[in-house]
Amino acid sequence: MSDRRRGSASFCGSPEHGIGRRAFLGGLAAVAADMTVLDVLKQPAVAAELKKQQKRVILLWLAGGSSQLETWDPKPGAPTGGPFRAIPTSVPGIQISELMPKMAKRMGDTTIIRSLNTKNGDHGGGAKLMMRGRMDDPSLRYPDLGAVIARELGQVHSAVPDYVSFYSSTEGRDFAPGAAGFLGSRYSPMELTTSLMPENIRRPDAISEIDHAERAELREVLSKRFARGRSSSELGAHNEAYARVRGLMASDKLFDISKEPQKIRDEYGPTQFGEQALVARRLVEAGVPFVRVARAWWDSHGQNFETHQELVPELDHVMSTLLDDLKRRGLLESTLVITLAEFGRTPTINASLGRDHFATAWSATLSGCGVKGGTVYGKTDAKGQSVTDGQVGAPELFATIYRALGIDHQKNYFVGSRPVPLTEPDTDPIDDVLV
Amino acid sequence: MRVSLICGLALFLLTEVVSGGDLLPADRAIEDVVDREIDAQLLKEKIKPAAQADDATIVRRLTLDLVGRIPTQAETREYVDSTDPAKRVKLVERLLNSPGFARHQADSFDAMIMAGGGRESMRDYLAQALREGRPWDRQFREIMAGDESKPETKGSSGFLKSRIKDLDRMTSDVSSVFFGVNVSCAKCHDHPLVHDWKQDHYYGMKSFLSRTIEFGAFVGETDYGTVKFKTVSGAERQAKFMFLTGKVVEVSGGAEPTREQRQELKRRSDEAKKKKTPPPAPSVSARAKLADVALQEGERDYFARSIANRLFARFFGRGLVMPLDQMHSENPSSHPELLAWLARDTISHNYDLKRLIRGLVMSHAYSRSSRWESSTSAPLARMFAVGAVRPLTPQQLATSMWVATTDPNSLPADPGLDPKDSKLEPLADRARGLASAIARPGEEYAIGVSEALLMSNSDRLQDVLAESGDRLVGRLVKIKDRGEQVDLAVRNVLGRAPDAEERKLLADYLAKFEGRGAEGCRRLVWALLSDSEFRFNY
Repeated sequence: MSDRRRGSASFCGSPEHGIGRRAFLGGLAAVAADMTVLDVLKQPAVAAELKKQQKRVILLWLAGGSSQLETWDPKPGAPTGGPFRAIPTSVPGIQISELMPKMAKRMGDTTIIRSLNTKNGDHGGGAKLMMRGRMDDPSLRYPDLGAVIARELGQVHSAVPDYVSFYSSTEGRDFAPGAAGFLGSRYSPMELTTSLMPENIRRPDAISEIDHAERAELREVLSKRFARGRSSSELGAHNEAYARVRGLMASDKLFDISKEPQKIRDEYGPTQFGEQALVARRLVEAGVPFVRVARAWWDSHGQNFETHQELVPELDHVMSTLLDDLKRRGLLESTLVITLAEFGRTPTINASLGRDHFATAWSATLSGCGVKGGTVYGKTDAKGQSVTDGQVGAPELFATIYRALGIDHQKNYFVGSRPVPLTEPDTDPIDDVLV
Repeated sequence: MRVSLICGLALFLLTEVVSGGDLLPADRAIEDVVDREIDAQLLKEKIKPAAQADDATIVRRLTLDLVGRIPTQAETREYVDSTDPAKRVKLVERLLNSPGFARHQADSFDAMIMAGGGRESMRDYLAQALREGRPWDRQFREIMAGDESKPETKGSSGFLKSRIKDLDRMTSDVSSVFFGVNVSCAKCHDHPLVHDWKQDHYYGMKSFLSRTIEFGAFVGETDYGTVKFKTVSGAERQAKFMFLTGKVVEVSGGAEPTREQRQELKRRSDEAKKKKTPPPAPSVSARAKLADVALQEGERDYFARSIANRLFARFFGRGLVMPLDQMHSENPSSHPELLAWLARDTISHNYDLKRLIRGLVMSHAYSRSSRWESSTSAPLARMFAVGAVRPLTPQQLATSMWVATTDPNSLPADPGLDPKDSKLEPLADRARGLASAIARPGEEYAIGVSEALLMSNSDRLQDVLAESGDRLVGRLVKIKDRGEQVDLAVRNVLGRAPDAEERKLLADYLAKFEGRGAEGCRRLVWALLSDSEFRFNY
């Protein structure tokens, strides 16, 4: 058994990793008041600026692993290319799969990253890696992208939820449940699995509106009497949580697509994925900073081409509708739409005409906020077996996402006295795709 | 490199030698030593601590801490009304010997041991060990290398099993849970901030655990296997079986087995798996060796200090060293002499958990009011000048909700007459469903908006707020006088009488529901249950 030193994969505050003693001392000062509570060194100016700009993220999570070859990185004519052609797009020089004609007309707002090499080819590990940007280390469980965005872009007293996750299929749901990790359950997602409406957000019929409100007021009066002369951060959190209840309940209409004009509903289409994407747009419009919409199950070990013939056009339709809708409302500038999965699929076509798990050379896309549309970053070889240019991993992708949103990707959280940067210190964002 | 190593060793020695001569005598009672040491610091900093809490608060605090639920009205009344000067020690004795003690402490130890580990639980094993009063060192040995074929150690491998796929996590968690130190930073390089921890320590600890294997539903151990690692300079090094103190032990074996030996091992494994019996024991258990060295005289300070600190934190809201897994030379204790005394006392009394718990909760420091009445700002928490306000765990909260909403007439009027708590204990089981809805398994627990939404809108509260059977709401409805209704509700849920202001506020609230059956009572009880006073152990 041998462990190699993993300089970039585990950070402990060592000067070797580029964080100096000063950062650590700063952290100590911040945590001295209460070492039990996670303390975050804020950079007030940056944070204030961000909140003003109201940036948001919609993550289209292609669970199971979509094929880059049938979407963003086609290899027509290659022995690994499969039956589908590549088609030109609105951006000269960029071609994508013929299964995505609608996105082909709208490449101007999207950047394709074709050079992901993330090394982890199992569903559980891959999903965690691509939701968190790194693997947990033995003593620390990292928050996922949604929890970090909720923490960074959400507002403490927000009347809307700050992390919403749709995952209706049971396949793969447990591989990457929304995870707030060390940020704590304050930043856990509101998870929707069976319906478009979150759990416990609607008033039960047995209690009237006025009774519900007055009961909450009575609770508040009693709690305030109790809090006199007492202090603890949990006591504050308790009352803050109840203070958000009425606002969140009022946000139930955000989840109700019947409030949307029929024309818009028709545009998104009657599919579950389409309806969830429409809710996602309603949510970000109301200021929800992070929404994940998972579409499963792309795991095409057999009949890869039939699977993709069914799923890719749906993705093409929903994604292009979503981008159009956001743009029309002036929201695309401040909303980052991501397509991502736990990994891609093998160029090699197996005996069942399937493609297997492949984390060595695959693609993701970023559209809208903070990214240079109409660009492709990175390159794979003629058969798609390896990255030949611009290789990046999950950390670089996450750094890029943070930077596109104006978040300092090197910002530290403090867990106890331990500084934990958003991405490992030697990680660079992909500057070429950032505005 | 060499300079910092020497420097690290020097620090190491300075803090690790507990100079017995400076400590209070060993024959003092635990509670006296806790109070002497804490009061000495308060005096030094010229802080006058908060007064002792009133009796109703003390009986609530003790009942929550020892048996994981609020007291019944009868229990509160008996304690408050008693004029017996020994009533506190008698209450503590009754609670320590009630079935709720093993149940609740098993939940607490389970949360401590299985922290962050998915949904697995060691509750059955822990409850049995706690019921029998098994010493902590023995529990540690059993958790590391217990024989699962014996009934008394069944389930003891749960800790290892839940980490079996990740040896680094196992290494880190063994160090942190049982020794109060987090060595994971020393995995890639000598710890940058804490000179105590070198890569040698990390891989030393890992060596002891590296022979652990999954064996059907059991945890097994092989006879071979060593750990190599790369230093920062890239040199490969063979790890020694080294404990955190730097003590190295010899563990035989290590040579990779021959093909024949491997086949023989596989044959035996397959056979045992087929029979569903535990795996054959190794000729030398490296994990048992770890327990041996960690509990040896001269090396056992980490183990003793960690359990003393963790139990102190459980009852006082924070440890004598914070964070609980950062017990090292550069993170000094708020009360070093107290910690050293408690560790020494724990060792000399055979790691008796009940004794230690009894001593901690009998102290005056434990029973201070949580309200800071003085006009000066409240002292830092590490002074222990004022009682902590601690959130109930989901299980404490859910069990307490069941107790609070049970008609007091359906419970024993004399708490002493039913030592088995045959009416109360089933409530803890009924509460498990609600508790699991409050907590998300595997998440760092914090009170969040999902709990507030659950309390506000979920139908999961229907059962506790029902009007039927032995429920409080059903009893309240039958009372005609609003003042009496308020009095009963507040006493049953909050364990105290309402004050004049509350009486008026709550009676006025009830008046709005005139002619609407149980509606008003149900809303009133809801408000009391969701109020911060109920949510916390104060």
